[in-house]
Amino acid sequence: MKRVLNTVLLIVFVITLNFIIFELMPGTQASISNLVQNPRVFDPTQVARLLKLYNFCKEVTITGPHSYNCVPTTIWDRFSAYFVNMITFNFGDSFQTNKPVLHDMIQTGRLVNTLTLLGVATTVALLIGTLLGVVAAAKRGSIFDSGSVTLSLITFSLPTFWMGLLFIMIFANRLQLFPSGGVTPAYWAIKTPDLLGQFLTRVQYLFLPALTLTLFFYGGNLLLTRATMTEALSEDYSNTGRAKGLPERTVLFKHALKNASLPLVTNAALSFGGLLGGAIITETVFNWDGLGFWLFNAIGWKDYPVMQAMFFIIALCVIAANFISDIFYGILDPRIKYE
Amino acid sequence: MEEPGVIVAEGLKKYFSLKRGFFETLVSKKDLFVKAVDDISFFVKKGEVLGLVGESGSGKTTTGRLLLRLADPTAGKILYRGKDISHLSARELKPLRREMQIIFQDPFESLDPRMLIKEIVAEPLRIQRVAKNEQELTERVKQILREVELVPPEEFMLRFPHELSGGQRQRVAVARAFVLDPQFVVADEPVSMLDVSIRAEILNLMLTLVQRRGASFLYITHDLALARHMCDRIAVMYLGKIVELGETGLIINQPLHPYTKALIAAVPVPDPTHRRIGDVISGEIPSPVNPPPGCTFHTRCPFAHSRCVNEVPPLIEVEKDHWVSCHLVDRPLTS
Amino acid sequence: MPVLQLDGLTTNYRTVRGWVKAAEDVSFEVEKGEALGLVGESGCGKTTVALSILKILPSGARIRHGKIIFDGRDLVPLSDSEMRKIRWKGISIVFQGAMNALNPVFKVGDQIVEAIRLHEDVSKGDAMRRAESLLELVGVEPSRVNNYPHEFSGGMRQRALIAMALASNPQLLIADEPGTALDVIVQAQVLKLMRSLKEKLGLSMIMISHDLSIVAEVCEKVAIMYAGHLVEYGSIEAIFKEPLHPYTQGLLGAFPGIKGERRKLTSIPGQPPDLLAPPAACRFHPRCPYVMDICKKEKPLLEKAGSGDHYVACYLY
Repeated sequence: MKRVLNTVLLIVFVITLNFIIFELMPGTQASISNLVQNPRVFDPTQVARLLKLYNFCKEVTITGPHSYNCVPTTIWDRFSAYFVNMITFNFGDSFQTNKPVLHDMIQTGRLVNTLTLLGVATTVALLIGTLLGVVAAAKRGSIFDSGSVTLSLITFSLPTFWMGLLFIMIFANRLQLFPSGGVTPAYWAIKTPDLLGQFLTRVQYLFLPALTLTLFFYGGNLLLTRATMTEALSEDYSNTGRAKGLPERTVLFKHALKNASLPLVTNAALSFGGLLGGAIITETVFNWDGLGFWLFNAIGWKDYPVMQAMFFIIALCVIAANFISDIFYGILDPRIKYE
Repeated sequence: MEEPGVIVAEGLKKYFSLKRGFFETLVSKKDLFVKAVDDISFFVKKGEVLGLVGESGSGKTTTGRLLLRLADPTAGKILYRGKDISHLSARELKPLRREMQIIFQDPFESLDPRMLIKEIVAEPLRIQRVAKNEQELTERVKQILREVELVPPEEFMLRFPHELSGGQRQRVAVARAFVLDPQFVVADEPVSMLDVSIRAEILNLMLTLVQRRGASFLYITHDLALARHMCDRIAVMYLGKIVELGETGLIINQPLHPYTKALIAAVPVPDPTHRRIGDVISGEIPSPVNPPPGCTFHTRCPFAHSRCVNEVPPLIEVEKDHWVSCHLVDRPLTS
Repeated sequence: MPVLQLDGLTTNYRTVRGWVKAAEDVSFEVEKGEALGLVGESGCGKTTVALSILKILPSGARIRHGKIIFDGRDLVPLSDSEMRKIRWKGISIVFQGAMNALNPVFKVGDQIVEAIRLHEDVSKGDAMRRAESLLELVGVEPSRVNNYPHEFSGGMRQRALIAMALASNPQLLIADEPGTALDVIVQAQVLKLMRSLKEKLGLSMIMISHDLSIVAEVCEKVAIMYAGHLVEYGSIEAIFKEPLHPYTQGLLGAFPGIKGERRKLTSIPGQPPDLLAPPAACRFHPRCPYVMDICKKEKPLLEKAGSGDHYVACYLY
């Protein structure tokens, strides 16, 4: 109950912050003062329409061929309208396409594209990172251990865009194994292959961006798993498990991993924000037409409705990830109780 | 009238309010307290070693911290040489810090790993601006290191804590506590983390330093046998209260409170022909959040009766230098 | 025939700086129904000996010499899968209850059931009923099988660990510092329980402790370890009546008694050595008040001395 309330408060806070940021941003005010100061340049009916549309004036009356009267909205009017729009997911129209932001987000397939990329990359990174971390902890001091730690440190610290460009250079340009970018080939617009063909081609296009994002994400997970597992394995319950006659596999994956997974859950949630950042870069490098690429372009275009919508959705995702991780934590750790 | 004591506690209380979430406080008004120390009064005489003995959760550590004003009392008074120090500000306490010192349990955590031994020991001197110049400071550090038998001091001064063994580290902690020639020293389980074979050395060293300075010493421990060998008087604590207080011989040989008796009976004896653990009282120390009403020991006491459940027994002097808080012994013993 | 016989057990740890000589040439016997106290300070190798017997040593540690004869069979050459059958059913171990010896994320009952079902083909329900009666045996309310370890007090955790150790009716029980870090009265309760279980079930036991007086309360025999060596070994009466090794004498002097004359506590000068480079020959010689030339040159062997069942590794005798 308390957690739900906290989450709601957090969402309200995020909306408010988002509102303040865009109120303070240059661009809007400048364009409006431009409109107001040079009324002769513009058609007053158009100006009046825009002022009303963007909620700068409550009432606009046209008083002459080049003059009009504006009853300006207060900051509270704008905030309440903004608030209602945000919680009803009414993000307005994109400046670039003049279509509703929600349409550009969903109907264009961007949402699905991003979810595919993120879903594949996170799942693989979590699985590989955890598995290798467990094995590294179990064989601490071995060549496998130091090798996997070194490798994950390298991939963890390399910039994502650099790694992405490197892969494009090697796998796309030199070896020609994978396409250098995009989600689907352009010729699909003319002729789409059968379902199996579609699937295989999609996997081919997904491979490099997913690989980049996985490499960016798995290292931290591996290092953390290794650290928490090392600790769990030195606890007396692991020794008790061995003394009971349990096979080492059971000690590792049942007794130690359940304890070691607690910090992993928190970490996965916390690094979600970073992962979204990584997704923006990866999508841009690989021309992957997802939400990240879209946001990147929107920033260049000063497409405020899109930016506002994306900031809000990213914040919602991070909040949701933390909420879910808290619930998971409660399930995994009996010492924690939520009323 | 004789001098009441270097340090006196009068009706000392320390309640910690339990941390609760913001929303919980909206729902329920009832505040929950951990009664760590609940209305205790005692004093430590000049040049005396007083043992404060109890199990974990008895409030013995909190009492030690209160006396040094490392924690603020919820109620009650602390008198140091007749002066009430229970409400002094940090600035007003500073000159008193020179005279009161503490030695902690863990010699691995109480020393800053990035400081040289010399700096660790010299820090109190620097804070109190005792030494006139650097040379005098070094001289005093050397002298106290010699006193705690870290010789040659020139060599130990330039080491870091991790280069020392546990026993040597605790000697450094002792040196730091005694470098200002304090009048009142609290030692909280100072040897429980050390190897058995070196404990006696550290304890004997502390006793020597205390005696040499005529200081008063509060020795906090869970080990009644060690307290017996160290202390002039012993106070036994249970759930934030003193249940028995008196001269060491009386406490050990003629204990009156059932809890003291139980503690003594639970100490294993290094004599295989005389196995003693037979009648151990059952149960474990209850939570100090909601301590039992009346006598807090009644839940485990083999002699508890209805009065013990309803009435808190006062701490009374049943014979000279022997105080007990128990309804079984509610009037002075007649010999 | 003794239940367990150690013959020259030598276990070392490999580190980057070399071999840590944690236990060297340790020999002792535990008869049926007998309790042996293994006493020494932290780092003397007593826990290494326990882990060696079960062969659950951490990676990097190796049994380099010696035999561990349990029930007539040497355990040292056995493979891990063969050892798994001996663990718990043959030899079980109780770790310190104050530590995380019970897994905090599983119910206490499930942890006991796991131990039972690992060695016996019984249904979950039957195993759970056994777990309940085991808890009852050690004085814990049987319904508390459904609790998690954090819902237990320190004393109850220690009791639950003992119950779990008895789950497969082992022939030998190793108790590593039982009751240590618990309150005095609770520790006494645990010792009383161990003693009554030993009598009731005829258990053979190895009790590891740093505290001679705890061992004196439960055991018939005692083995004193110092820096990886066994320095004195024999019946508990003999050793307490007439401690021969200077280290044993020092240890006894360091423990204050609650009864008897108040005396000044004594301690052993110096501190236990670094086992990476322990002193040559008798490892106690740098701290020994009676040190002789030969102590620095040749390791003294454990030989019969004094009266009764009593062995000591010291040139004084």
